[in-house]
Amino acid sequence: MIDGFNFAYLDEATKRMIRRTILKAICIPGYQCPFGGREMPLAYGWGTGGIQVTASIIGINDTLKVIDQGADDTTNAISIKNFFKKVCKIETTEDTEKATIIQTRHRIPEKKLSENQILVYQVPQPEPLRRLEPKEQETRKLHAYEEYALMHVKLYEEISHFGSVIKTYAYPVRTNKRYITDPSPTPKFDNPKMDFMEALQLFGAGRERRIYAIPPYTSVQSLDFEDHPFQIQTWDERCDICGSNNSYLDEIIINDKGEKKFICSDTNYCEKNLKT
Amino acid sequence: MIVKDKILEVKNLTHYYGEQVGCEDISFDLYQGEILGIVGESGSGKSTLLKCLSGQISPSQGMINFCIDKSQPLQDLCKISEQKKRSLMRKEWGIVQQNPRDGLRLRVSAGGNIAERIINEEIKNYSKIRNKALEWMDKTEMEKSRIDDFPVNFSGGMQQRLQISKILSSNPKLVYMDEPTGGLDVSVQAKLLDTITIIVRDLNVSMIIVSHDLAVVKFLTDKLLVMKSGKVVESGLTDRVLDDPQHSYTQLLTSSILQV
Repeated sequence: MIDGFNFAYLDEATKRMIRRTILKAICIPGYQCPFGGREMPLAYGWGTGGIQVTASIIGINDTLKVIDQGADDTTNAISIKNFFKKVCKIETTEDTEKATIIQTRHRIPEKKLSENQILVYQVPQPEPLRRLEPKEQETRKLHAYEEYALMHVKLYEEISHFGSVIKTYAYPVRTNKRYITDPSPTPKFDNPKMDFMEALQLFGAGRERRIYAIPPYTSVQSLDFEDHPFQIQTWDERCDICGSNNSYLDEIIINDKGEKKFICSDTNYCEKNLKT
Repeated sequence: MIVKDKILEVKNLTHYYGEQVGCEDISFDLYQGEILGIVGESGSGKSTLLKCLSGQISPSQGMINFCIDKSQPLQDLCKISEQKKRSLMRKEWGIVQQNPRDGLRLRVSAGGNIAERIINEEIKNYSKIRNKALEWMDKTEMEKSRIDDFPVNFSGGMQQRLQISKILSSNPKLVYMDEPTGGLDVSVQAKLLDTITIIVRDLNVSMIIVSHDLAVVKFLTDKLLVMKSGKVVESGLTDRVLDDPQHSYTQLLTSSILQV
């Protein structure tokens, strides 16, 4: 640890405040709890919410993995990992199975998570109804009274204009049959993984100062219509590196002629797949 | 004689804006299928009354008893929870705003606007919702082909029709209309009034219409309240009030209609 910093950067009082918020969030699955978000040494939008959550729950024996768009080796993931290495002196890993805390932006690892792991999401906009209803006072009432018709109006609109629901990421879910929740900008491919996940899922939104949670083994249902059921993305191609046909694929343009390759977005999954 | 159910019972309704009187000591009953008109000059308390009745403001004094369930006695709206009130607003009541842009979601298609109230009734089937929306567009004489168009691109008359079909799609018991034909030209007005009468008689909904246009009131309503300075100065059957006005203000009002 470097001198002049408390363990995990935040002071103990702040960590306690965030832990209390997390406990409340776990008690009311999917409910957005306000918290006193602190300024972090990086810009809003780069994971300040996720970092604060991780900093409050991390202990000296934890092993941290950070991914951005599924990859361990991206700028955001590496700098957050280095940050915690510096302020906690803890182990970090790229191995999904070895990690006890996984902080993520945009993906849930392909490997099924277990009970002794915690998944921390970085959330830009925690309010799923925000684009439909700009007033905070009103959206809170909509949640409190379960007035969720607006969300289905949005799905109705997409089906009537485009033939199907075109929302492919941050696809709204209903947590524990109660609160409509934004799964953060993860692709809808990952929505089914959230349902009855064994790991605890924590969501931190730094700019908006909200924390919400999905406890382990909680029902998470993607919204849909009876006659237009929820579907996840599929690809005709396989991963160009490991040959997987059941993971989320990124499309990579490889030259100026527009030729492209599809590769796994989860780098750790891809590597392991290649070895076996 | 058919005994009709009482839908709304207003007793001594009073609302003050600070020291200022909004409306004072207003009492009336409304039965199912009945259309009540409220007329009066600007600032006479018509809109305040309408806002109190539709739960947008809570009155300073008095009671507004509404029939939530036919098998139960009327309930005082000032005493029910906000949640219950909001659910009434979404289903049992409808408020047709004077400016349709206030009552519609302009960035949502015509079908989506109607769908919102249908979805409230727990229908989660896309084709059913869409068919119901089409049905309502047809009933209000809108072109079905415009179901996916946005209300911003509609004419004033069309927007008003859309607002009406949106509200009626949840089969409300009571509809409030605030100057439903304000800002529309005369021929569009006439057509819209025709549509409203047909649908309302067909569905047997009760309505309260606020207007300063006596012609509209005469055409649509059964009963009439004439308001001045926050008080009801005359009330009765519309034909009686307009043909044989008793109060000096009503006399002034009926005599100031321009004759063409």
